[in-house]
Amino acid sequence: MASSPSETPSGVIHDLGYRPYGGPRLGERAVSWSFFRTGLRNTYGLGRSARSKVLPMILLGLMLLPALILVGVLVQAKDLLDLDEQIVPYSTYPLTTQLLVSVFVAAQAPALVSRDLRFRTITLYLARPMRRSAYVLVRFASLTVATFVLVAAPLLLMYVGGLLADLPVGRETVRFLEAVAGAALLAACLAGLAAVVSALTIRRGLAVAAVIVVLLVSYTVVSAIQGISLEAGHDGVGQVAGIFSPYTLVNGVQVFLFDVPEATATPPEGTAMGLLYVGATVLTVLGSVAALLARYRRVSP
Amino acid sequence: MAVIETTGLTKTYPRVTALDHLDVTIGDGVTGLVGANGAGKSTLIKILLGLVPATSGGATVLGHDVASEGGLIRALVGYMPEHDCLPADVSASDLVVHLGQMSGLPYAAARERTSDVLRHVGLAEERYRPIGGYSTGMKQRVKLAQALVHDPRLVLLDEPTNGLDPAARDDMLGLVRRIGQEFGIAVLVTSHLLGELERVSDHVVILDSGRLLRSSATTDFLHATGSLLVEVQGRPDADKLLGQALVDAGLTARPAGGALIEVEVRDETTRDVVRDLTVDLGLGLVRMQDRHHRIEDVFREGVAGGVQPV
Amino acid sequence: MSEIRIDHVSRWFRNVVAVNDVTMTIGPGVTGLLGPNGAGKSTLIALMSGFLAPSAGSVTLDGAPLWRNERVYRQVGLVPEREALFEYLTGREFVVANAELQGLADPGAAAQRAIALIEMSDAQDREISTYSKGMRQRIKMASALVHDPPVLLLDEPFNGMDPRQRIHLMELIRTMGAEGRTVLFSSHILEEVEQVARQIEVVVAGRHAASGDFGAIRRLMTDRPNRFVLRTADDRLLASVLLADPSVRGARLRAEGGIELEASDFGRFSQVLPRLAREHGVRLLEVTPTDESLESVFSYLVSS
Repeated sequence: MASSPSETPSGVIHDLGYRPYGGPRLGERAVSWSFFRTGLRNTYGLGRSARSKVLPMILLGLMLLPALILVGVLVQAKDLLDLDEQIVPYSTYPLTTQLLVSVFVAAQAPALVSRDLRFRTITLYLARPMRRSAYVLVRFASLTVATFVLVAAPLLLMYVGGLLADLPVGRETVRFLEAVAGAALLAACLAGLAAVVSALTIRRGLAVAAVIVVLLVSYTVVSAIQGISLEAGHDGVGQVAGIFSPYTLVNGVQVFLFDVPEATATPPEGTAMGLLYVGATVLTVLGSVAALLARYRRVSP
Repeated sequence: MAVIETTGLTKTYPRVTALDHLDVTIGDGVTGLVGANGAGKSTLIKILLGLVPATSGGATVLGHDVASEGGLIRALVGYMPEHDCLPADVSASDLVVHLGQMSGLPYAAARERTSDVLRHVGLAEERYRPIGGYSTGMKQRVKLAQALVHDPRLVLLDEPTNGLDPAARDDMLGLVRRIGQEFGIAVLVTSHLLGELERVSDHVVILDSGRLLRSSATTDFLHATGSLLVEVQGRPDADKLLGQALVDAGLTARPAGGALIEVEVRDETTRDVVRDLTVDLGLGLVRMQDRHHRIEDVFREGVAGGVQPV
Repeated sequence: MSEIRIDHVSRWFRNVVAVNDVTMTIGPGVTGLLGPNGAGKSTLIALMSGFLAPSAGSVTLDGAPLWRNERVYRQVGLVPEREALFEYLTGREFVVANAELQGLADPGAAAQRAIALIEMSDAQDREISTYSKGMRQRIKMASALVHDPPVLLLDEPFNGMDPRQRIHLMELIRTMGAEGRTVLFSSHILEEVEQVARQIEVVVAGRHAASGDFGAIRRLMTDRPNRFVLRTADDRLLASVLLADPSVRGARLRAEGGIELEASDFGRFSQVLPRLAREHGVRLLEVTPTDESLESVFSYLVSS
């Protein structure tokens, strides 16, 4: 073998020192969007530990299950049972499954809201370009959209099932979209209330319990009052009472605006009451956001 | 260009004046900030980050006005808070990537820089474990990493050695020094431990009740007093023996606490005299150093010539 | 005499042995109790103040056991670390309350004396909630001093204090020690201890690691060569000459000038250095023992 001409062995050592960053820096809008997406994913445990996926995924599954069954029955036994519409109306479904929704909101609101306050991680956010108010609004948005997904997913399932069962497309589409609008309102109300409670009781366990109590107790009390007022023939009382639980409130709004099937004992009657319901909904959402902004203004970096 | 500049900066709260017409300029390198009143330091940081409005006066950070360009400032500045601020259920890696994005870095850049920055602050595989299980030293490193991930031009480090054991404190101080010197990032570090600031900062700013007490290069604080501190050993009365011998040789010497002798330097032969007398007396020379002032001396001087109790 | 004697004391809480077979004597003057976080300093102070009973061994003050011994409580003043103060009380009320608890004959006068001692007479009628950190610490001291105890125990008294407050408190502690009281304070910040107490007790992980003058402790560590930095008029010459001496383990010329030196025999080296320097006509500019600081001594103790 011929020997190659003498080569000196060579090597390179790369500098692993600190490297400055000269790349793009995203503005507040892009950062807020990224923050929104992270928050949304985190409520379903995506981007977090496996343990944090368990509860939300189970709840999502449990939300879909009844819808799946209903759809199955609809498709299979439509002719047998002479069904020409959804077994459970779209707008009623969230009320029926409200326990699951409440549990979801109660579990995830503290994760999104209380956590940063409890560990004072909020300081690290405040020291960054995104403004305090943007932080609050984005957190609220993430929670709202996450809740919306939970409430609307089964509705979508029902809609698809309805189409498969050859229910009238036009009618079903309208009803579905109305219910989706309702789902959005419900999500916003629930998210707002839960976020405010979580921002005030920053210990996670307490916050979860507090949200559950607020949502469950309000519904129980309202239903009781509505039942009693119905019996006693004083519908008005029951109707007004309905604005004090998000579930009855939003259902009432849908009854007023879209004339959906009534799911409460004393739904709003008449324009005045209907407008009261709409106003109360807007107030709930805006009031919650305002309360959140005020609460966060007191946070010291 | 000054890194930080305040003009007549004032912040009053109902019961206390945190900052009182503060005029100070802070430049590159490592600047130490000491306060004789807790409220002033934290208020100053909040104002510099554009999070709290001043009552009167103004300030600029990296040339930007804190009152109108807060967001821009916060994109260029890193802040390491004094208090606990780390969630327990995420890993250092995930947290710093997220915060890097929150500072405006695109995801890929945030990931890369996080990996590098965690290496620079000295976190190894533990970076993948949840922060809840970290020691204080590791947590401080994470706090520092999140302040550096977006390559800021200035970092504000608030009591970075809080709660650290001596070895960890040494490491942290070394890191602070590296940031100022090697990384080319201006550093404002607060501490109530003056010895640390002497070691780590090029420049020291002293606040007292919201006002500027003094702002000088560290070397100015530590200037020599013109005396030597000498320590000898070999017999129980070694210091007295040498002290007397020095006096007999015409030098000014006095006891300086412990077994130390303070000797006034008369000329360049003074040190030789100390050396030779030590040998003649059969003693051992343990120490011969210039006696320096210390930053602490400023506090002993006080405003009216005496130590004011707070 | 007021001497606290801790004799083979252990204290455990279930599986955690906070104090592990510690024996020490704390006498008059100022002693610093050092240790890393979680080393058992607070537990030791609680034992010394009679707040905790030892699981094993005995803690005595001038021979009398401290646990459940009311007579002995009167001899001890404790300034605890936690800030459990009554915010709504004024400083005066707080100190008077403690004086009354101690069963003093004239609580008001005793309180005034104590408050004057810590120089808070002007602020005593303000509510504690308005006090700064330094003031709170001092009012705690007043309440610990109100019964004029010969023993004063302070748990991390300098925590979070700013320089001026610290200097003031150090003066106070020095004064107490000079009066002949037995003063013990704990800290994990060595910078603080170095200036006030040359007598130290070091605890590491519940064990008693060292005791005495920290310079003396350093010289006892014969397994570690002593480090020096020398600046001279002719580093290379002196370094080569010193290396020839058996007391020198190693010498290194620094890039920025000066000699970094390791000496295995401290005593011999300190004598050899000036002698050889004179013999070879090398002027010594600076001689600094670099690991005689409390911080080095401490880190050696902790890591061994």
